[in-house]
Amino acid sequence: MATLGKKLFILSVRMGRGLWHRGIVSSSNPVQSAVEPLEKLQESSSDAITEQMAKSLKYPDFFKVAELFTVEDLFNARVHLGHREGSLNDHMSQFIFGSRLSHLIFDLDQTATLLREALNFTAHIAFRGGIILFVGRIPQHQVMIENTAKECGEYAHTRYWQGGVLTNSTIQFGSVIRLPDLIIFLHTMNNVIYEHTAIRDAAKMLIPTVGIVDTNCNPNLITYPVPGNDDSAASISLFCNLFKAAILRGKEKRKELLGVH
Amino acid sequence: ATLTMAAVRAQTKFLSTNVLIKPFFSRFCASGSGQEAGEGASQVKKVNQESGQDGSQIKKVEPGGFAKSFIKYTQSSSSKVSEEAPKPSRTFSSLLRNSKLIQLGDPEGKVVEGTVFHVVENDLYIDFGSKFYCVCHRPQRNAQSYVRGARVRLRLHELELSTRFLGSSTDMTLLEADATLLGLIHPPKKTESAKQ
Repeated sequence: MATLGKKLFILSVRMGRGLWHRGIVSSSNPVQSAVEPLEKLQESSSDAITEQMAKSLKYPDFFKVAELFTVEDLFNARVHLGHREGSLNDHMSQFIFGSRLSHLIFDLDQTATLLREALNFTAHIAFRGGIILFVGRIPQHQVMIENTAKECGEYAHTRYWQGGVLTNSTIQFGSVIRLPDLIIFLHTMNNVIYEHTAIRDAAKMLIPTVGIVDTNCNPNLITYPVPGNDDSAASISLFCNLFKAAILRGKEKRKELLGVH
Repeated sequence: ATLTMAAVRAQTKFLSTNVLIKPFFSRFCASGSGQEAGEGASQVKKVNQESGQDGSQIKKVEPGGFAKSFIKYTQSSSSKVSEEAPKPSRTFSSLLRNSKLIQLGDPEGKVVEGTVFHVVENDLYIDFGSKFYCVCHRPQRNAQSYVRGARVRLRLHELELSTRFLGSSTDMTLLEADATLLGLIHPPKKTESAKQ
C-alpha cells in the first residue's frame, strides 16, 4: 500500500513536469511525501521555465492585479459595511474606520491594500499551476461561488464540510490525494457563531488561505485576510469576479511564459 | 494660411503683453488680470469669427486654457453649469461622507426604495442598498404585482436585527434588516414579468 502510494506520487510528479515541487501529498506514511526543496530546482538554472518563475517573483505586482478594482468599486459593492458594534471581534478592530450609529464601517484603504496582496498571491498560485479551492457556507451565495470556480477552471466546496477532508483525506477518499495549494474563503463563518473548520485544518496542513473577514470573524489563522462585507450579494459577487480575474490572469501568463496549459 | 499666421501672431502678442503688464496689475489692482484676460479672450474670439467667416476649410484657432475658463465662467448660466457642479473627490472618506448611509442618520422611520429580488410564496425579499435585505409579507392589495424586480417603498426600522441576549458574550444577529412595506412604486418591466 505504501509503495503503491509512492509510485502514484512519482507518476504525478512526472506528469506535472517537475513544476509541482511544492505540492503537499497526503499519504499514510508522512516520510514518503517528499517535497522537493526550492534550491534543488534553481541549480538547473538553464531551464527557461525556472527562470520565468524566478523572474515573476521580482515584481511587486507581476500580474497587475491593482488594475482590477478601485476603492470606489469596493464602495459601490457595499464592501465597507460591517455588523454592529456588539458583535465585533477584537482582532478586527484594526481594520475598522469607525462606526455610524453603532454600525461598523471598514477602512477601505486598508481593505484595498490587503485585497491587492491577496489577488497577487492568488495569481501567482494560478501561474504555478496550483489547485485553488473556493469555500463558502452561506446558502444564498453557494451557486455564485460554484459558478465562479467553474468559470476559472478551479474547485469549490460549499456544502457541509466533513471533518477529515484535509486532515484525514487518504482514509476518507480511499487513495493518495493532492490537497489544494490555496483555499479562498468567501465566508469564514459556518453560520453566525462558528468558524469554518477548514481554516484550522488548512493551517494544520500548511495550506495558505485567503479569506474575506467580516467584523464578527477571526482573521488570525488566515494567511491573507481581506476585511470586508461578506453578507451582501453585491460584495460577494465583486470578490468572486476579482478572484476569478486574478486566477485567469495567472493562467494566461502561465500559458504565455511557461508554455504549459 | 495667412489668416492662421495672423492668429498665431495675435496670440503671441497677447502673451507678451500679458507677461509685462500682469505683475504690475496683479500687485496694484485685483481686477487687472481679469481685464487683460478679457481683452485676450475677445481677441481670440475675433480671430475665431474671422476664420469661420472666410471658409470652413480654414481650421479654427482654439482659445487657450485660461481664456476657455474665463469664457465659461463669465457666460450667462446655462444647463452646463449644473452638469459641472463640483464632484466630491474620490477618496474613501469623501465617498463615505457623501453616501446615503450617512445621509440616512437614524434608520428608524426613514422611507426608502427597494427592489424585490426573491419571492418565496408570500414572503418578499427586498434589497434597499444596505448590508442586509429585509423580508416583508406580500400585501393583500395589488398582490399580483409584487414579483421579482418590483420597486417598492419601505419604512425602515433597523438596518440589522441584532441584539445581546442574556448570558452571551456577543450579539446574536438575524442577518436581516427590519422594514415595513408601504406600497408599490412601479411593477417590474415587461421582460422581467414575462420570465415569471
